[in-house]
Amino acid sequence: MKILQHLKKRPSIVVYSIIILLAITISNKLGLTIENLDQAWGNAGVLWSEMFPPDFSVVTDRASWTQTECTWEADWACSAAIHGLSETIQIAFLATLFGMLLSLPLSMMAAHNLSPIWLSTITRNFLAGLRVLPSLVWALIFVIMFGPGPLAGVLAMTLYTIGYLGKLQYEALEGVSRHPLEAARAMGLPRWQIARYFALPEASNSILSQILFMFEYNIRHGSVIGLVGAGGIGWYLNNYLGVFSRYDRALALIIVIYVAVVIIDQISLSIRHRFMDSETHAPRARWREIIPFFNKREVQK
Amino acid sequence: MPEPIVSIREAEIGFERGNPLLVDVDLEVHPGEIIGIIGRSGIGKSTLLRTIAGLLPPLSGHIDVPTGRGDVGYIPQRLGLVNHKNVGYNVMMGALPRAPFWQTLFSLPGFELRQSAREAIDAVGLSDKVLDSISQLSGGQQQRVAIARSMVQKPAILLADECLGELDSETAKEIIELIQNLAKEENIAIMVVDHNPVRVATFCDRVLHVKGTQIEEVVV
Repeated sequence: MKILQHLKKRPSIVVYSIIILLAITISNKLGLTIENLDQAWGNAGVLWSEMFPPDFSVVTDRASWTQTECTWEADWACSAAIHGLSETIQIAFLATLFGMLLSLPLSMMAAHNLSPIWLSTITRNFLAGLRVLPSLVWALIFVIMFGPGPLAGVLAMTLYTIGYLGKLQYEALEGVSRHPLEAARAMGLPRWQIARYFALPEASNSILSQILFMFEYNIRHGSVIGLVGAGGIGWYLNNYLGVFSRYDRALALIIVIYVAVVIIDQISLSIRHRFMDSETHAPRARWREIIPFFNKREVQK
Repeated sequence: MPEPIVSIREAEIGFERGNPLLVDVDLEVHPGEIIGIIGRSGIGKSTLLRTIAGLLPPLSGHIDVPTGRGDVGYIPQRLGLVNHKNVGYNVMMGALPRAPFWQTLFSLPGFELRQSAREAIDAVGLSDKVLDSISQLSGGQQQRVAIARSMVQKPAILLADECLGELDSETAKEIIELIQNLAKEENIAIMVVDHNPVRVATFCDRVLHVKGTQIEEVVV
């Protein structure tokens, strides 16, 4: 009885115990045992010895087996790392751009506060459908359809970007204050004008931040989709890990990807900071010049 | 007496049938008239304005409001400005209902619309703030932007929900002058919700007091 009373006073003990018990049961069911881990340590040792030291010739030497033609004269520009990385960034850029252009109108159609319920339901289901498959599976499908290469990568990541970015954007649009939208509705404006001139500017900072995040995300995933032949640095990584079994070069490529992602992350962070007030963290009105209703020249006239 | 711009007959106003906030609402609003609406918080003043603005359907009865694009102007409690944009942009939004389709599609308003926005900004005394974002302005300046937007829109009826709420008396006086000019010069019917019965009596042609579920006209 005393134990029960004690547990009633501290229900967290019961919750923690249940979670730990659940974790142990699931681990046993999935075969995550100490013996299996021991074996993995052995394999990791072999991999480790073949990976170190990393061979950075992948950054300096020309790769004669690039997936797409490399016309640069400098050897480093056509190396597996630099050529692959630039291809990954190009794929990510195009996929983010196309994804953004297509997801923006779709997100306006999907937002409950901007569209009739039937349209927002259909659009949300469409966007959810695009998100069902990860970009890797889309890449696999497009490699089968169009053959290996960056085209499959761009198409795969564009589709995934539409699904993912569309969801983030319609959530941002639904988060805007209802007051400007009501003022616009009372004016008798059509839905597209309310979305474009009232909702979109209010959500613009969030949307910009999401686009930058998506670009980063696409660069990281651009490395993965190359594993199935959809272009980019992942394709070189796959060959070093598979056909060539050069783990030291594969490690060098992984380091290059890591450094690139960290740099892009920092650039994206500093751009996003420009759109936020450092003291209040409130969005700044930086987009004001984009729609040229009033620009500086007009005021100076 | 000219034809009423808004005519409400035996209307029930509220959110759910069987539990209306206001019953037996009979009201006529004429062009150029300023009507003040007073009453305690939560009694249904804003709901009445939102219903006239077409944002809520009446529970029963008839409400005749002009239905043309831009005929109704609505300034919500929080003004409904696009905070991430500048003063010029927000005032130009009033021109959207009357702007030709192609101008709105490419965000390129014609000279006349830009000129009317410039005049409205000058009239409310914000000429030096055209490129300032809304979040940089004081409460009184934001009210002026909302009124300038309505000046550009030139609605048949303007519904202003507590647009004098938290202003100091000097600024409130300036805003009241702008409202009066709008009614006189543009012949716009204006309905203003306010908490201050004494202030409302000074500038409104008629004052309506919302008591319980009824609207009573107060003799000014």
